Amino acid sequence: MLRGFGNVVVKELKEFIRDPKMLIGMILVPALMFPVMGYAMRISMETAEESVKGISVVVMDFDGGGYAENLTEFLDIKGVTIVDPNTSILDEAVNYIQQHENVTGLIVIPEGFSSDISGDSATLYVYAAFRGKGAGESAGFEVLNALVEMYKRSLAQNTFDVDSWSVVKGKPVHVSPDALFGIMMTQYVGMPIGIMMLLIFAMQIAATSVASEKEEKTLETLLTLPIGRMTILAGKLVGSVIGTAIGALAFVIGWNYYMGSITSAFQEAPGVNLEAIGLAPTLTAYLLLGASLFVTLISALALAVSISVFAEDVRSAQTMVGYMYIVIIFPMIFMMYADINALPLPLRLILFAIPYTHPMLAARAAFTGEYLTAIMGLGYVIVFTFVVLYVAAKIFGTEKILTAKLKFRGFRFKRSKQSLANTET
Amino acid sequence: MSVAVKVNELVKVFGEVRALDDLIFQIREGEIYGLIGPNGAGKTTALRIISTLLTPTSGIVKVFGHDVVHEASEVRRLISYLPEEAGAYKNLSGSEYLEFMVKFKAEDKETVREMVGVAAGISGLGERLRDKVKTYSKGMKRRLLVARALMTKPKLAVLDEPTSGLDVLHSVHVRGVIREYVKKHGVTVLLSSHNMLEVEHLCDRLALINKGRIVAEGSPAELKIKYDASNIEEVFAKVVALA
Repeated sequence: MLRGFGNVVVKELKEFIRDPKMLIGMILVPALMFPVMGYAMRISMETAEESVKGISVVVMDFDGGGYAENLTEFLDIKGVTIVDPNTSILDEAVNYIQQHENVTGLIVIPEGFSSDISGDSATLYVYAAFRGKGAGESAGFEVLNALVEMYKRSLAQNTFDVDSWSVVKGKPVHVSPDALFGIMMTQYVGMPIGIMMLLIFAMQIAATSVASEKEEKTLETLLTLPIGRMTILAGKLVGSVIGTAIGALAFVIGWNYYMGSITSAFQEAPGVNLEAIGLAPTLTAYLLLGASLFVTLISALALAVSISVFAEDVRSAQTMVGYMYIVIIFPMIFMMYADINALPLPLRLILFAIPYTHPMLAARAAFTGEYLTAIMGLGYVIVFTFVVLYVAAKIFGTEKILTAKLKFRGFRFKRSKQSLANTET
Repeated sequence: MSVAVKVNELVKVFGEVRALDDLIFQIREGEIYGLIGPNGAGKTTALRIISTLLTPTSGIVKVFGHDVVHEASEVRRLISYLPEEAGAYKNLSGSEYLEFMVKFKAEDKETVREMVGVAAGISGLGERLRDKVKTYSKGMKRRLLVARALMTKPKLAVLDEPTSGLDVLHSVHVRGVIREYVKKHGVTVLLSSHNMLEVEHLCDRLALINKGRIVAEGSPAELKIKYDASNIEEVFAKVVALA
C-alpha cells in the first residue's frame, strides 16, 4: 500500500513541477510578484517618509501678531523648513507651492489672527498641493495637518478654526486635501487594475483564436484556402479588436459613469464642483486614454497571436500568454502605490519601456493634466505595435505557423527539432 | 493525358531529420494516385508541400504547371486539402461550416447554395447539417470534411488518410463518394492511406514511400505482379522489408 501511495505522490509532484500553468500560478507569481509589490510599496513609503522628514512650508503672515510669530516658531522647532516665496500675493504663493514639488503646502495667517484667537473667532488657512503622484503623496499634507492640530491643542483654551484648501493644477479649491485624496485614491487603484484586466482579457481572446484553430485542427485547412495569410491574420486581429474594443468602450463608459457618480456625490458638499476644480477628465483626457488603450490593445493582441503560434493547443497558448501578465502586473503595482518620477532611474526606464505602463500613465494624466508624458508614451506604443505586427505578419507568412513549437523542459523553452520532424512526417 | 502534379527531386529537412529525400513522382490529370508507406515515411510532409503548407528545402513541385512556392495562391485556387486530423468549427452548424468554406471559392450566392447542396449530397448528413458540429460523431465529422473537400470540384483533391479512424460503414460511404464523385467530375486525387484494401480498390496508381523516397510505383495490378503478391498488403510488406 505504501509503495502504491509513494508512486502516486511522485507522479503528482512530477505533474505539478512539469506543468507550466501550476508553476506560474503557485510558484513564480508568489515568488516574483509579492516581492515586486513589496518593493513598490517600500519605495512608496520611503518617498512618503522622505517628504515627512524634510517638510517645507510657505508661511504668509498677514497678521504680524504674537500668535502668528508663535506658530512660525512652533513649526521651526518641529523641523519644518519655512520657505519664502518672495511674494505677498496669495495667488502667486499658491502657484509657487504647485510648481515646487519639495514644498508641501502653504499656511496663511490672516490679518487679525492673534486678536481673533482671544475671541474664539480666528481662522487659519492651510493649502496643500495636490499633484496626483500616487499613494505616497498624502503623507506630506497629513503631517502638515497634524502639526497645525498639535499647535492648536498647545494653545489650551485659546483656539482657532482651520480652513483646509487643496491646490489643484495651480488653482486653490475649497476642498480638504484629505477628502480629495480619498476620492482620487480610488482612481490610483481602480484604473491600473481595470486596464490590467482589459489587457489580459484581450490577450486571452487573441491567443485562443489561433490556438483553437490548432487544437480543433482547422488551421491547416484554413491555410490552404485561396486567401492570403495576411488576410487571415488581419481577420483574426480585427475580430479580436472588435471584441476588445467593445470591452474598452464598456470600460470607458463605466469609468465615466463611475467618475460622474463621484462628481455628483461630491457636488452635494457645499460649494464644491470636481469638474470646476479640473479633476474631472476632459474630452482631451478621454481621447488620449482611449487612443492609448486602443493602440496598446492592438499590440497586446498581435503579441498574443504571435506567442500562441508556438502553442499546440488553447491551454498551452494561455500558459504562454500567462508569462506576459507579469509585464502587465508589474507596472500596475507601481502605478498603484508609487510616484513613477520618484523611482530610481533604472526602474523608471524599465517601466517606461513596458508598453503596458503607458495607458496607465494616460489614465493618471487625466487627473494630473501631464499630457506630454502620455502623448510621448502613445508614440512609443504605436512604434512598438508596428514592430509586433511586423513580427506577427512574418510568422503568419511562413510555415512557422504550423511547425513552430516550444517545449517546456527543465524550466526553459527550446524547439524540439526531432519531435517536430516526427510529427511532420 | 496532361500532368496534374509534378514532384521533382523534392527534399525537406527538419533540423537534422531528412523527411523527404529526392522524392520524384508525377500524377496524371484525372487519376487517383495513392501514397502509401510506414509511419514517418514522409507521406504527410509531401502532401503538405503540395498543398502549399510547407516549403521544400530543395526541389520543384508543380500543380497544373504552377510552382507551389512561387505561385502558392494560384495553386490554392486549384486544390482542396483534407488533412488527416482535420476538424471543423465546433460552434458552427454543418451547413454554416460548408457555407463559410465555400465562400472562399464561390463568387455569388447562387454558386454558394449550389455547392453547399452538393456537399449535403456527398456527406449524406441530411437534416443533421443544421446541428452544430460539436454534436457530430467522428464519422459524421469526417463525412462533412470529405464533402467540404470535394464540393467545389477542385482540379486536385489532396486527401490525407480520408477514412482515418472511421468504422466500416462510414469508410465504405467515404470511399464510394471519392470514387464516384471523382470519376464523374474528372477531379485528380492524391491520397495517402494505411489501409491497403482501400488503396487497392480506389487508386489507379500507387507509390510506396519509405524514408522519404519512392521505392515502388505502379498500378495495383502491376505491383502485385512485380512483387509476386496476392494483394497490396503483401507488396507493402515485401517492399518495406527490402528497403
